[in-house]
Amino acid sequence: MQMARKAEKAGQPKPERLKKKTRDFHRISPLWNVIFNLIAGLFAIACVFPFIFVVIISFTDESVLASEGYRIIPSKWSLEAYRYIFESGDTLLRAYGVTIAVTLIGTAVSLVMIALYAYAISRKNFRYRRFFSIFAILTMLFNGGMIPTYMVVAQLLGLKNSIWALILPLAMNAFYIMILRTFYSTSVPDALVESGKIDGAGEFRIFLKIIVPLSLPGLATIGLFSTLGYWNDWFNALLYIDNPNLVPLQSMLMRIESSMQFIQQNSANSNISMAALSSLPQDTARMAMVVLATLPIIFAYPFFQRYFVQGLTVGAVKE
Amino acid sequence: MQKGKKRWTAALATMTALTLALSGCGGGGNNQSSASGSGGGTSDKPVELIWYTIGTPQKDVDSVMAEVSKYTTEKIGASVTMKMIDWGDYQQKMQVLVASGEPMDIIFTSSGGFDYVQNARKGAFAELDSLIDQYGKELKDTINPAFLEGSKVDGHNYAIPANKELPQQEVWRFNQNLVDQYGIDTKNVRSLDSLEPLLKTIKEKAPDVTPFAMDKNYVPYVPYDYVIQNLPMAVKLDTTDYKIVNVLDTPEMKEALATMHKYYKAGYVAPEAATTGSTSDLMTSGKWLLDRAQTQPFADNVWSTSYGYPVTSTPASDAIITNNSVQGSMMAISANSEHPDKAMQFLNLLNTDPVLRNMVDSGIEGTHYKKTADNRMENLPESKNYDMPSYSLGNNMLLYLNPNDPENKWDEFKKFNESGVDSPILSFNFDPKSVSSELAAVQNVKEQFWSSLMTGTVDPDQYLPQAIQKFNDAGLEKIMAEAQKQLDEWKAANGK
Amino acid sequence: MGTFFKNLYRNKALLFMVLPGAIWFFFFSYLPLAGTIVAFKQYRFNRDGFWASIARSEWVGWDNFKFLFSTSDAYTITRNTLLYNLAFIVLGLIFSVLMAIILSELVNRKLSKLYQTGMFLPYFLSWVIVGYFVFSFLSMDRGLLNQILGWFGMDPIQWYSEAKYWPYIMVVVNLWKSIGYSSVVYLAAILGIDKSLYEAAMIDGANKWQQIRNITIPLLTPIMTIMTLLAVGKIFYADFGLFYQVPRDSGTLYAVTNVIDTYVYRGLMTTGEIGMSAAAGLYQSVVGFALVMISNYVVRRMDKDSALF
Repeated sequence: MQMARKAEKAGQPKPERLKKKTRDFHRISPLWNVIFNLIAGLFAIACVFPFIFVVIISFTDESVLASEGYRIIPSKWSLEAYRYIFESGDTLLRAYGVTIAVTLIGTAVSLVMIALYAYAISRKNFRYRRFFSIFAILTMLFNGGMIPTYMVVAQLLGLKNSIWALILPLAMNAFYIMILRTFYSTSVPDALVESGKIDGAGEFRIFLKIIVPLSLPGLATIGLFSTLGYWNDWFNALLYIDNPNLVPLQSMLMRIESSMQFIQQNSANSNISMAALSSLPQDTARMAMVVLATLPIIFAYPFFQRYFVQGLTVGAVKE
Repeated sequence: MQKGKKRWTAALATMTALTLALSGCGGGGNNQSSASGSGGGTSDKPVELIWYTIGTPQKDVDSVMAEVSKYTTEKIGASVTMKMIDWGDYQQKMQVLVASGEPMDIIFTSSGGFDYVQNARKGAFAELDSLIDQYGKELKDTINPAFLEGSKVDGHNYAIPANKELPQQEVWRFNQNLVDQYGIDTKNVRSLDSLEPLLKTIKEKAPDVTPFAMDKNYVPYVPYDYVIQNLPMAVKLDTTDYKIVNVLDTPEMKEALATMHKYYKAGYVAPEAATTGSTSDLMTSGKWLLDRAQTQPFADNVWSTSYGYPVTSTPASDAIITNNSVQGSMMAISANSEHPDKAMQFLNLLNTDPVLRNMVDSGIEGTHYKKTADNRMENLPESKNYDMPSYSLGNNMLLYLNPNDPENKWDEFKKFNESGVDSPILSFNFDPKSVSSELAAVQNVKEQFWSSLMTGTVDPDQYLPQAIQKFNDAGLEKIMAEAQKQLDEWKAANGK
Repeated sequence: MGTFFKNLYRNKALLFMVLPGAIWFFFFSYLPLAGTIVAFKQYRFNRDGFWASIARSEWVGWDNFKFLFSTSDAYTITRNTLLYNLAFIVLGLIFSVLMAIILSELVNRKLSKLYQTGMFLPYFLSWVIVGYFVFSFLSMDRGLLNQILGWFGMDPIQWYSEAKYWPYIMVVVNLWKSIGYSSVVYLAAILGIDKSLYEAAMIDGANKWQQIRNITIPLLTPIMTIMTLLAVGKIFYADFGLFYQVPRDSGTLYAVTNVIDTYVYRGLMTTGEIGMSAAAGLYQSVVGFALVMISNYVVRRMDKDSALF
């Protein structure tokens, strides 16, 4: 039904009336309906199955795993992996805390910065509009690379081992600014802004009272993009975080993974592989961590999806 | 550095050493002179040394280091902050940290983590020659000289190797349960050929056992030392002319490959050996008779404990000291260290002082471990918050013994190290810069041919000439010529 | 001068709004840009930090570039980046439009909604997580795929070292992750099509297939074209997470999984070839820049509102 409303917004005929009519003859034959259902259904299952599979592995008994591998129906179930995680202390809990904090603060900060910047450069009466547009766009085309960026963040700004090192590097994105600028110009009529000006409202007032309410779907889309960006980021933690108490979820999973690779590469050196191996959780526990790291998204995402679809036509065209 | 200054430094070093010896302890933070020997100057404030090392970060690192700092402040006037970086991140993170000039003094380096030779050449590490002379007397006396000699890059030391097992020795390992069960005689085994009767027996009597376990990294042993690990250019161990040869072209390798193919056809080797990443599944199930591995003293005990069934071994080669074996675990001083002298003093102490070394390794006595005898200790439950990889933290032979270690553990290590024979090209490090595009091409050829040839999966009569041809097409000969040139220069410079 | 300040004052509110963002761009985008110069240097560490290292490293002009292009690497990473992106664009377009049409034609709306929810899931997962998922299928000794091969009496495959399968694996994984999302984009567009068009077609006796061919697809063409063009503009940039996390950094797979982004990263982080890595990065920026400009120009000519700038 979302789509129908979308259509209405885009100036199409009223869907309510339409639906009644289309129900009657706008239909495919029952055979094709079955085939289409099969295709869409199978693909949907294929999209969800890996997650379910990993859940199953995480509940498998470790000893069974060694002999029969990852099975869809293992011969022995076990809660051992989860027990291990919860008994191994607060590591996972902390990682959750860090990720949630970074995601919330980060999304808020970046949404405010992006929304304001985009608004300013969307205003035709802004004298430096062109300059600041190009100033943002140029950053999409070149980047200075990892080490100079590291130096700015870690040394110049002194953000090493600080939660801001996980927040600030992702705060702005020229791409989102451009999306939002376009959104403002298509969804907020110029006349509305002008009438606001005539009523004597300042730019901030116009932004808050006129632009924001009318651009909510666009803002929501950008907000959700950046929520996802923060939740799924592991790279900044790799660079800037040494303190084990500040490691976010994805980065924790990533570390376990890269340690496994390290052991494989150094398998000839028994000193290294023995020492490193002892510090790693077992297969089922790793899968359990994957499950726990994914769970919040699984629960949150039907909600995400609703907003995405609303903001989609504008946002997605450019994604 | 000028000649005059150097001599002056040496004089100062001798004096310092004398004073130290007279005062009977490790000195008291009274020497702030830099590496170039710019003079005395005293300071009461201890300097802070930042130490980057590999391993999963431990909870109690900071509290242990506080304890360590108390000790080192008293001994050498320096406190220590340790930063641990997880196994898989170490290489990458150190690359960024060093390139961006993060403050650091001591850096763990090895052939497998933050590559030693490469980074020494790029200038990441301080050159230690004069510092070792100045502050490393005891260290030099303690660790096996072959370590320092073998870890030279272009004639200079850039890191202090950890004193541990020195040579590499290949052994045949046996699954003792099967050996006993089928009455297999392992006494006369040494060469690859000598395995045949054993493999034959087990193949006939226990068809579900993999007689000869190996993964795709397996390479038959030949008495050559490789210039670059796993590329077919090598120097014969008893060489006199220091000629680099294509190892695939040597009679030893040809014979070994023919034997391997014979074994493969007879079903002694698993059909998928050339693509198997690891034999750990076989090891868990115990369904293997023998394989080849690198040994160290009491390795049989370690293997038996970790597999849960008895494993025995007999030598398959001599014990050879190679670059690879020497560069397994080292500590360098960062080129941007502000206190290279203190860092060197610390490394000296770490490698010679059992109290410090064990504190760094096992934590605080009474909290993380308790001593049960003069040279023995036992972990306490708290040790789970300070579980460090011993191999990466300096001189292993100072470590207290664990409850189930034999009394003569370190003596056996020393004996093992004495038995090691230097590879002729020990401490020669090939600089591949001028041939790196050829090197990449050769690596690609290697990926295609190597494993299937080495595991005997393909017939060497047919594929070996092809492989040699491809290697040469990719530029192996050019690389070998460049390596030979460098080796000749090195040989002349080192009077070999 | 006076007018300049007057202008500044007149625009103070809007200037204040761009200020945080502008400061951010200065620190996080423009300041690090100076590091690009290392592409023209033979990088050597200097004790005074990165800038001192750059300043004191030897100027080697185009050597890093010459070197990069004399190895087979430059060819491999360019080829991989372009071909993979091409495959993603073409197959992604075909499958997501197909899926959107299927979803729009389903009689039961509730089911259609449910399928969408399922398909959307992968889009929300990080590549780290997807890497674990893929591993549960492809692991040599434990993976599901090798078990299935076993049921048919086939030998297990060492997936992570057999380069020949990976082009397919990468394409499948990428499509798996992205189709749910992009098909919903197209679905929104389909549902936005004026229904009276279909009614008129129906009255003219057009069957469902003719409607799809003659109404749905033509009306989707503009959005398809724009999305494709924009993707073409970014064809020189690969999805780092996909190419780094999913193949588990397996060396034997580099020939088919190394793209410009992973090459730059490894050059910096693993092999320490800072100069070469910067050269490859600059190469990507310059060619990528040209492609973005061209595609943006074309999009602009088609539909001004859809252009990026």
